[in-house]
Amino acid sequence: MQHDPAVITGICRAVELAIERAVRLSPGTATQLQGLHPLDVAIHCTEPTISIFAFIDAAGMVKLASYRETKPTVAIEATWRDFGKLATAADPAAALINGDIKISGDTAALLQVQRVISDLDVDWEAPLVDALGPLLGHQIANIVRAIVHGTKSTHRRVKRQLSEFILEEGRLSPSAGELDAFFSDIDDLVLRADRVESRLTRLKKRVSTLVETVK
Amino acid sequence: MNTQDNQSDETTDFGFEQVKKGEKAGRVREVFDSVADQYDVMNDLMSGGLHRLWKRFTIELSAVRSGQTVLDIAGGTGDLAAKFSKLVGNDGNVILADINAAMLSVGRDRLIDKGALNNISVVQADAQFLPFEDNSIDCITIAFGLRNVTDKDTALRSMHRVLKPGGRLLVLEFSKPTSPLLSKIYDAYSFAALPIMGKLIADDADSYRYLAESIRKHPDQDTLLDMVEDAGFVDCRYHNMTGGIVAVHRGIKG
Repeated sequence: MQHDPAVITGICRAVELAIERAVRLSPGTATQLQGLHPLDVAIHCTEPTISIFAFIDAAGMVKLASYRETKPTVAIEATWRDFGKLATAADPAAALINGDIKISGDTAALLQVQRVISDLDVDWEAPLVDALGPLLGHQIANIVRAIVHGTKSTHRRVKRQLSEFILEEGRLSPSAGELDAFFSDIDDLVLRADRVESRLTRLKKRVSTLVETVK
Repeated sequence: MNTQDNQSDETTDFGFEQVKKGEKAGRVREVFDSVADQYDVMNDLMSGGLHRLWKRFTIELSAVRSGQTVLDIAGGTGDLAAKFSKLVGNDGNVILADINAAMLSVGRDRLIDKGALNNISVVQADAQFLPFEDNSIDCITIAFGLRNVTDKDTALRSMHRVLKPGGRLLVLEFSKPTSPLLSKIYDAYSFAALPIMGKLIADDADSYRYLAESIRKHPDQDTLLDMVEDAGFVDCRYHNMTGGIVAVHRGIKG
């Protein structure tokens, strides 16, 4: 299906504004981005067919476009499912290397981008303080921070308890230690079977030699 | 009989009205004199801000680089010129051209306010008879202006003349919606809502009625593509936007 350029351009502009805002709230990032100029990344989604181009201008601002003729520093090509997996992967670098994503050009540039993203430290309290004043803004920021912290620790706790239930209470799955011992036993058994097989082969040879001698 | 006399006899469309060719520029001038002050506000209101995305995509298609010369015809209030000014940098040049002095005046004031006039020249010019040297411009854009030009073929040939070989023309213009349902909704909106909005915001229903009529009289996507090719451009193509309500045509001077 042919996509509407105005829609893609609108999405690009919205994302661009969000990035611009985040960069403005993360003081060190603008300088890091300026160092990446003239980085030009082409992102080609094959299903559906959409291309988006991200580049960094001389002022260190991230710009997005739906059409660009400049040769990209690096091009990434994948289906939207692969991009989805990459976005949600615990280790994006491993997902990028091991997934079905095609990369061409200077891959070192991607590592630089990843470094900038991981160093991104958005001071999201600043706009709250600007809008609501230092007292109320700070209090609301504290509440939000507590909610986020609570949600994260609840998520971690639920994950740990669920894994304990599966392993210990429900015995629905063996533990890592049990699995290691099981695989070690299998390896041991394979070695023993190999030894028995070679002894049998040697025995067969000796028996056939004796039979020949007796004849 | 000379060309001037021929032109005075022939007629052309001014919205749904037929007027003498010599009269159209004056009538169009009256429309834009009337709407100049409220032009950008009305554009935002009428398109719901979409005109900014249409223009942004046109700028992307232009692939303009630092140091190039860009001519923005019918550039009016200078929104495209301001963006091109950043792209061409201090080594480049942007020419903001419009036949209408009132629009240019608004445009020049806006550009001064934005501090963007250091590499922008403002020129009052008719798209049919561009006052520039042959092969002197890298890129020409005309956004929502071609339908107001008296003789579109003459204008396209004039643009072809001043472009450098390899230079590109981009025509952003209202066009024909690709879906019959959208076409009906769009017709109802154009002929019922636009004049009311024009009356409320700019106190000028007639000018906005002309806008709706001139859009209907403008050639559709394929016809305009043929016209661009006939003017001598190569590698011509168009991109429909927002269901064909708007299309951007691109042609390269071979």
